[in-house]
Amino acid sequence: MPHQNPITIIVPVRQDKVVELRTVLNQIKQDLLNKKNEDFERIGTIHYARWVIIDDKDEEGNPDHENVKLIFSSNFDGTKEDQIKSLCVEAQNTLDSIYSHCIGYPAINERTIENRYNYLLLRNIPASSFYRGSPNRSLVQILNENKLRDFLRKELDSRSWLAQGPQVVQKALQEAVKATAEFKWAQTPFEMPKVNWPGMILLGILILICFPLIIILILIIQFIYERNDPYFTKTRSELNEKKMLDLETYEDLQYQNQFTQLVVMKAGAVRLFTFKLLMLFSRTLIKFKFVEGKLMGIPTIHFARWVLFDNNKRVLFFSNFDGSWQQYLGDFIDKSGWGLTGIFSNTTNFPKTKFLFFGGAYDEEHFLAWSRDTELQTQVWYNAYPKLSIKNVNNNSRIRSLLFKHLSDKKAQDFLNLL
Amino acid sequence: MMTSLELHDIQAYVMQDYPDMMYSRYIMLRVDHGPSAKQWLNHKVDDIAIATPGGVVDPHQKTFLNIAFTSMGLIALGMHLDNVNAFSREFREGMTAAHRQRLLGDVDGGAPEQWNWGSEQSNAASLHVLLLAFGKNEEICLQYVQELKLDYEQNGLFEIKYIDGRTLENNKEHFGFRDGISQPIILGSGQPGLAETMVQPGEFILGYHNEYNVLPQSPLIQVDQGDQNLLAADAGGSGKKDLGRNGTYLVIRDLEQHVDKFWNYMNNKTQNEDGTINVDESIKLSAKMMGRWPSGAPVTIYPYSDPGIFIDDNNFGYSHQDKEGSKCPFGAHVRRANPRDNFEDLSPKESLKLSRRHRIIRRARLYGEPIIGSPINYTYTGAVGLLFNCFNADISRQFEFIQYAWANVSKIKQLYNDPDPIIGAKELLDAGVEQNFTIQDEPVNRTIKGLERFVTVKGGAYFFFPSISALRYLASIK
Repeated sequence: MPHQNPITIIVPVRQDKVVELRTVLNQIKQDLLNKKNEDFERIGTIHYARWVIIDDKDEEGNPDHENVKLIFSSNFDGTKEDQIKSLCVEAQNTLDSIYSHCIGYPAINERTIENRYNYLLLRNIPASSFYRGSPNRSLVQILNENKLRDFLRKELDSRSWLAQGPQVVQKALQEAVKATAEFKWAQTPFEMPKVNWPGMILLGILILICFPLIIILILIIQFIYERNDPYFTKTRSELNEKKMLDLETYEDLQYQNQFTQLVVMKAGAVRLFTFKLLMLFSRTLIKFKFVEGKLMGIPTIHFARWVLFDNNKRVLFFSNFDGSWQQYLGDFIDKSGWGLTGIFSNTTNFPKTKFLFFGGAYDEEHFLAWSRDTELQTQVWYNAYPKLSIKNVNNNSRIRSLLFKHLSDKKAQDFLNLL
Repeated sequence: MMTSLELHDIQAYVMQDYPDMMYSRYIMLRVDHGPSAKQWLNHKVDDIAIATPGGVVDPHQKTFLNIAFTSMGLIALGMHLDNVNAFSREFREGMTAAHRQRLLGDVDGGAPEQWNWGSEQSNAASLHVLLLAFGKNEEICLQYVQELKLDYEQNGLFEIKYIDGRTLENNKEHFGFRDGISQPIILGSGQPGLAETMVQPGEFILGYHNEYNVLPQSPLIQVDQGDQNLLAADAGGSGKKDLGRNGTYLVIRDLEQHVDKFWNYMNNKTQNEDGTINVDESIKLSAKMMGRWPSGAPVTIYPYSDPGIFIDDNNFGYSHQDKEGSKCPFGAHVRRANPRDNFEDLSPKESLKLSRRHRIIRRARLYGEPIIGSPINYTYTGAVGLLFNCFNADISRQFEFIQYAWANVSKIKQLYNDPDPIIGAKELLDAGVEQNFTIQDEPVNRTIKGLERFVTVKGGAYFFFPSISALRYLASIK
């Protein structure tokens, strides 16, 4: 079964090369937008990828570019070793043009596939929690299933089906697919991932057992920490105008967008423990429950990930989503405000929270402003299927999984409703 | 919790759409001489129509006047930049910012470069003040406008453009459909309405709690100027004075309607085998796209034909009556713009909660020849269109969200390539991209292909629609 995975690689940038690196990344960004760089397509297993520069306090009067870092992040099929290897082989020039500006990258005359590979592998950081909107599907499968859906829709549009039973229509579609060599793969069965209810029940029982401890933890956090923690009070109008413009310049160029966020952990073991506990909780829920294209009810996320790094001092959040920023953040408040509040109340300068899970994200205006304030500009972003929503991806798979199944008349109608 | 609204401080147009005022003129003014303009404003405040309990209007009143300002207008009146910057980003940047054009779909023929007003290329730099004058009929309205004009022209204000608008018979718009039926009702306004249509005041009026039970962002005075005693304190407790309280944001979009294109498309898609127009089927297709029949009757309740009477039926939902979209298609304009109790796959309760967070109060006035279109009546001369107005406290979460996420995005429910057929279709498509309208049906959904754009944006701007006390304050700025 194909397995989608994330990778996060953080490397230090040479102090004297930051400006040049920005130019290189900007060129890659333009080339990707203009379809002039096809490295990622050629690799054929990458769903999303991005490069982000952090810790460059250039604008705040630190022209020395000290301690600047470059982050590579991607979502791909296979293992992280496969991913790094294919980058080193298929995207060698792009890699060299970027990482020659970074500390520790092999010198120009010493570069081999192997030492590039080792350089990147050594600097990868595991994700604290990782969500997939379409588990168990390779990039190739996602692209193929969309072609299949378009083909089936064309078949349906090609004639009138008036007064035909749903099973008859399904049969006709099966025949059409069988007659098309391109869709031979569609006859092999695919099962949609399902919620693991026994696992969920176990999780429920575990939480019940630990409930008194959880309550104690929440009370400790509320009365010893949260009441005194400084919190975020800005509104959207008070944010840095230039930063907002920079972010918006590369938003909504396509239907999908990306979000990169960097926050700082609050000090102390209690906060770190709570954060790690919530990451464990989210990992479990993602594994058992959020396997059908929704993360805590949010139906627009292709991939999302939290990464604790920098000696547990900071957290990165990456996501790839459908629609606009306003829609995405609104969904977060409407559907999973408590989850986000629980996680981010352990990071500094979040809107005021109460009892770990309340306040915070529900404080709409300040939460929106905080999200923008902690958002990073992403220098390069690649997406493999910009015209597909995650709902489309899953609907396509559902169509494919049902097409060759024996269905009752009613189920066959439900199947046709998907088309 | 029932909040009581300070109606006497709120301009009336937010609360009522002056249904008996059949004629109107929107006058765009440039401030040439600030001090005189402020003097004019100070005495004109008394003429501004204010909200009344329950929206009850004196039937003898023949004219109404309201006023709104762009951010350029506030600067022209001498407002300190730090105070202007306290307004929302959307209002400050205006409708035509590059990023906003992408969200709103203002490209190709609807790009600001093509606009008649509101864009940098037309008159944005001199669009400062908007006067909204309404009259019982054309004669009364224009006579009132004449009086106004004599006054403002002598007080440092210069008229740069005006647009006359009508209310057509039975409140129809040019395509031929009764408009403006479903409106949110502000809790505490005293106006009657269905429980599902009741929305917290902070969604539409600044200074009150919204549907998140927090205060919307409101412009607070940052730098001392003018007579701040005229303003109430920030309800958020910052100690600052709230310029926004009892005011709101007014969005205006000048929507040219291609009535000929609209009915030709419907006629072509439904014509008889011999090529003649099938009037009933043509109307039916258009009603499926609109979600209401020309009379305004919802297709959810009347799926087969137009009952033909104006009953303004608004007491319906989709989750029980039409979950599969077989009556009102998922892609229909009214179902997208207000998903009621059936948003995506959420429960009715969750859907209603979400819908309430994306409502707007709509107003409309029609310009051009007073044509009411139908399958056999779609020729006219000149441009015709609808001056779309809406009130909201958060332009980004309300107007822009609806236009982008629910109208322009072609992926509502399980749809792939279906934008809102009335207000979301694109003029030019990327290679290989389709633009369709899907009618949910059995055994298979029907695709109506090659959807065209029937509406082109020809102008627009974001305005601040101040409270009465904020108007007095603006006049007091030195």
